[in-house]
Amino acid sequence: MLSTIIRRLVHMVFVLFGITVLVFLIFFATPGANPAARIAGRGASPATLARVSAEFGLNKPLPVQYALMMKRLFVTGNLTSFVNLGEKVVPQVLHAAPVTLSLVAGAAVIWIAFSVLIGLLAAAFRNTVIDRLLMILTLIGISMPVFWVAEMANLISQGALHRTALFSWVPPLGYIPLSQSPLGWFKALIIPWFTLAILYIGLYARVLRASLIESLQEDYIRTARAKGLSERQVLTRHALRTSLISFVTLFGLDFGVLVGGGALLTEVVFGLQGVGYLTYQALETLDLPMIMATVIYASVFVVLSNAAVDILYALVDPRVRDR
Amino acid sequence: MRRLAALFLLLAGIGCGFARAAPGGTLRLVTASASGSFDPQINYTNRYWEIFQAMYDGLVSFAKTSGPESFKVVPDLATAIPAPADHGTTYVFHLRPGIEFSNGEPVTVQAVVHSFRRLFRVNSPNAGTWYDVIIGGRRCAAHPRHCSLPGLVGNAAEGTVTFHLRHPDSEFLDQLAVPFASILPADTPEHDMGTTPIPGTGAYMARSYSPASGIVLVRNPHFREWSAAAQPGGFPDRIDYHFGLTAEAQVSAVENGQYDWMFEDVPADRLNEIATRYTRQVHINPVNYFFYLPMNIHIPPFNDKDARLAVEYAVNRASMVKLFGGPALAAPTCQILPPEMPGYRPYCPYTKNPGAKWSAPDWRKARAYMKKSGMTGQPVTIITEVQSPFREIGIYLQSVLNRLGFRASVKPLSPDIEFTYIQNSANKVQISVTDWAQDYAAPSDFLNVLFSCKSFHPASDDSINMTGFCDPAIDREMQKAIVLSVRHPRQGDALWAHVDHQITRRALVASLFSVKKLDFVSARLRNFTFSGEYFFLPQLAMVK
Amino acid sequence: MSAVAEKLAEPLPPPAAGYWATALRKLRRDRAAMAALVVLAVITLLCALAPFYARDVAHADPFQSNLSGTTIVHGRRVEVLAPADNPLHLGIEPIGPTWRFGPYMLGADQQGRDVAARLLYGGRNSLLIAFASAAICLILAALTGLAAGFFGGWTDRIISAVLDVIWAFPVFLLAISLSVVLIAHGVRIGPLLIDASSLSLPILIVGVIYVPYVARPVRGRVIQLRESEFVLASVGLGVPPWRILLIDILPNVVSTLVVFAPLIVALNMLTESALSFLSIGVQPPHASWGTIIGNGEALIYTRPMVAIAPGIAIVLTVLALNILGDGLRDALDPRAKLRN
Repeated sequence: MLSTIIRRLVHMVFVLFGITVLVFLIFFATPGANPAARIAGRGASPATLARVSAEFGLNKPLPVQYALMMKRLFVTGNLTSFVNLGEKVVPQVLHAAPVTLSLVAGAAVIWIAFSVLIGLLAAAFRNTVIDRLLMILTLIGISMPVFWVAEMANLISQGALHRTALFSWVPPLGYIPLSQSPLGWFKALIIPWFTLAILYIGLYARVLRASLIESLQEDYIRTARAKGLSERQVLTRHALRTSLISFVTLFGLDFGVLVGGGALLTEVVFGLQGVGYLTYQALETLDLPMIMATVIYASVFVVLSNAAVDILYALVDPRVRDR
Repeated sequence: MRRLAALFLLLAGIGCGFARAAPGGTLRLVTASASGSFDPQINYTNRYWEIFQAMYDGLVSFAKTSGPESFKVVPDLATAIPAPADHGTTYVFHLRPGIEFSNGEPVTVQAVVHSFRRLFRVNSPNAGTWYDVIIGGRRCAAHPRHCSLPGLVGNAAEGTVTFHLRHPDSEFLDQLAVPFASILPADTPEHDMGTTPIPGTGAYMARSYSPASGIVLVRNPHFREWSAAAQPGGFPDRIDYHFGLTAEAQVSAVENGQYDWMFEDVPADRLNEIATRYTRQVHINPVNYFFYLPMNIHIPPFNDKDARLAVEYAVNRASMVKLFGGPALAAPTCQILPPEMPGYRPYCPYTKNPGAKWSAPDWRKARAYMKKSGMTGQPVTIITEVQSPFREIGIYLQSVLNRLGFRASVKPLSPDIEFTYIQNSANKVQISVTDWAQDYAAPSDFLNVLFSCKSFHPASDDSINMTGFCDPAIDREMQKAIVLSVRHPRQGDALWAHVDHQITRRALVASLFSVKKLDFVSARLRNFTFSGEYFFLPQLAMVK
Repeated sequence: MSAVAEKLAEPLPPPAAGYWATALRKLRRDRAAMAALVVLAVITLLCALAPFYARDVAHADPFQSNLSGTTIVHGRRVEVLAPADNPLHLGIEPIGPTWRFGPYMLGADQQGRDVAARLLYGGRNSLLIAFASAAICLILAALTGLAAGFFGGWTDRIISAVLDVIWAFPVFLLAISLSVVLIAHGVRIGPLLIDASSLSLPILIVGVIYVPYVARPVRGRVIQLRESEFVLASVGLGVPPWRILLIDILPNVVSTLVVFAPLIVALNMLTESALSFLSIGVQPPHASWGTIIGNGEALIYTRPMVAIAPGIAIVLTVLALNILGDGLRDALDPRAKLRN
């Protein structure tokens, strides 16, 4: 067990190293990415430009620059932005994290509730009109580009219908901290929550339905039925429980990706300044230190959730442990 | 009917009586994001200059008022504007006594000298291009660590500072008035202060600054108004500048009264809405700012003047104006200097009926020049910025160039990359879409900066002369105008007008339109004041 | 026959003769999948007819700006881009949908171009990129998955390590980073120069990022097959490895790939539209449904149809692909899963 965990940790460090090197190389391969002129300001003289380069270590060989950046990011923690000079990137990411967490956690509650409900309904009424209708709906949910749904939600709630009673409660785009106003927080996030959740409701409901129907064929379910349990009890007490493992696995992976900044498009269209938004902004302004910080942040979540899921599996299923 | 009108007048009068604006309250501003270092000697953005002007003072400053007066340099920490001596190379300033920084330290001769040395030591963007006119400035720009700046002499006993310049410079006072030349406490560290606000002498000081959330300005407790023109006491007690809303969200927030003013331009699809429903909250003011297409005169196809002329005649500037939001916000132009600039004499050779104003594209001439150039079928890549209106201008230009017979493609880049990318001659940019706004209202800030030999640095990211144009004769004329303007501004302006028209005739850039600035404010904001230099002056707004 | 029995009766590898024929028969009986196929065919046909629509119906070049032009609506000549009607004369509004089979049926965008014509042209690119990048993705995934699974050892370790790094890189961040970088100068692979404004760039980027998603299950399948009795038996009989790879393993992998194909096409279409929406995908003058939605963002409150129409086109296409994917999975391999 311990060796599994250690192996995972070594693996994780390796993957993170790979990613940072990849980001670093991608950045320096970009023409016009050299930030010296941008830092120096418009119309700076060549001498000023050269000095700025030296001051920020931009004239050093790439491996040295890489090592310095990693040191300032992980050891001293004082890595600063190329764009907003003097702005430390680590606090920036930590500042954005609650926004993303609020968005993703709320959406997760919604998508779990709805997908379990739809999955159960569809399994209970399998091969009927209700099942087919629900499955078409989930498929539509999976097929909609999230940024487009977000745009349409804005069009309706901020545009034409904003003056009507139906949507006059919708605050302007942007995030309202929970500590500042719990109600405002809820109002600002409810539409983004549903927008983000739609895709996952569809995916999870379909996965759950398939797994429920599969487990309904198993022997122990037949036993339960034979004991005289009602179909509803069989479904919720027994079948659901066994289907839960794959459900939880899936959830762990998706949640990890989203908390790390995977909800970028939703954040951008709704103007929520979370980690995804920060990443997008950093990529737009080619702010390498910020890109580094956000990408590493995102990857840590992906790698961690992968590891957690693997370890969970190892705990549940002894066969995996020895692989 | 008449009685009714009288009643209205009466009611309106009462209304005014109750709603009379008063000092105090909190002014709430909003913008999309932070804008770089918060050090006034480093930051080179309009977003922060607008704030710095209420926090810091130079020896002189631009008058904090509206209209043409706002370009006028007035004495600030100095008691008077000195007449230059020694043929325009010596300026002696007397410090105003009794002024303190927001940390309680007095403003001393030593602080002034320190501030100007610091300017070089922190690599202020224009240290090597503006302030090197001070004797010793060139050495300081090259070796900032050992900067002694012998051309600046302080006399603590008499309270004077004396500048000795290498040559007469008509813009020296303008350059002393911008935030780079702010006077800071003598113990200010000699490195970029980044996110730490530096104490200043202005009416307001920063209580907090965070690139993630914003700026909070409060009244400077050590401030006593000494000149309402240079540094007015200001009306709001507190100014909250919030970062982090998109322009679309800013419009909604100002409409709903959650903020009093937004920094970003109102997005095009909201213009009709605010103009229809919030007409009285919209302010439109002219600014010295234009959009243009620099053409690289060293590489094909635009190393051929006929090819450039073809573009000049073909571009429909009225269409370009539409892309910017219509004639209320932009006006077609063919020349370099914008209408509000001294030395502006309207001139447009590239139109259907050549004369003062542009009227319509002349496709007959454009095709003739195109044919003469022999560049038909040549590939051209247009570099533009990814956001509106640059992207739209690029796409439109592409269809114009294709119609002329080029094989055009367009490449929109992130705005942070584009501006340095198009400057570097190593990137071999043929034509690009860009804009230029004044630092201060002097023609040389457009003509000398954009077209002098000195501004062209091959294979450097900092080469603002994107066309690569260099004509010693025109350079000499511009130098003559700079010197002439010190004593004889009117003759200087005439010379600048001549230079402007000459450069326009060379067809180095296709000028598109000069723009006006639209400000959208909350319903409660009164006394909106627009300075040509700094734009909206937040400290003069009333919100109570 | 119960579902379990059906599963048991299913031919285990190697696929029996008639495996594909059976699958095809099953698919033909799947009415939903057939309907999806028809929808896809209709959409593809409409997009293929884009030039005729532009020439004969819209009478406009959808790639030529028309900022100062006029058109006739309800018998009146109007400006395509007219100043908005307000006291300050602020803003310019493109002509709205006319809802007639003719010029500007869905209105104009901010360049005065016919949205309906652009929608059809954009669809060509969206479909082309989705299918071409899916092909790249499947081929690369098959190669890497086969090599890693079949050869094992260091080959497997290196390939898996690279796949792990790409896998841990959040997929959108990877796509966006690559696009931001490559859009400036294009990319050079050996003698091949891919220009930034060509469609090959988004095809390449979208094609690469999902490789681990397919390569991993392929690798798993190959390992499973390699250890299966019939392969071990073949090895015991002295059959050369390339024959085993070609005859025993490849056909099985192909069925996995076929099941994934429509789902990857759908996923790629969504990804491409997102990149183009962020204006780092398809570059002007080309258009795709994503770029049109992006253009429509700036007109969302005044001319929402510019953003609505391409979105509906994407949803329809992706939905059809997903239904087809379901059908294929049911017909070929009911246990295949794209995620994990």
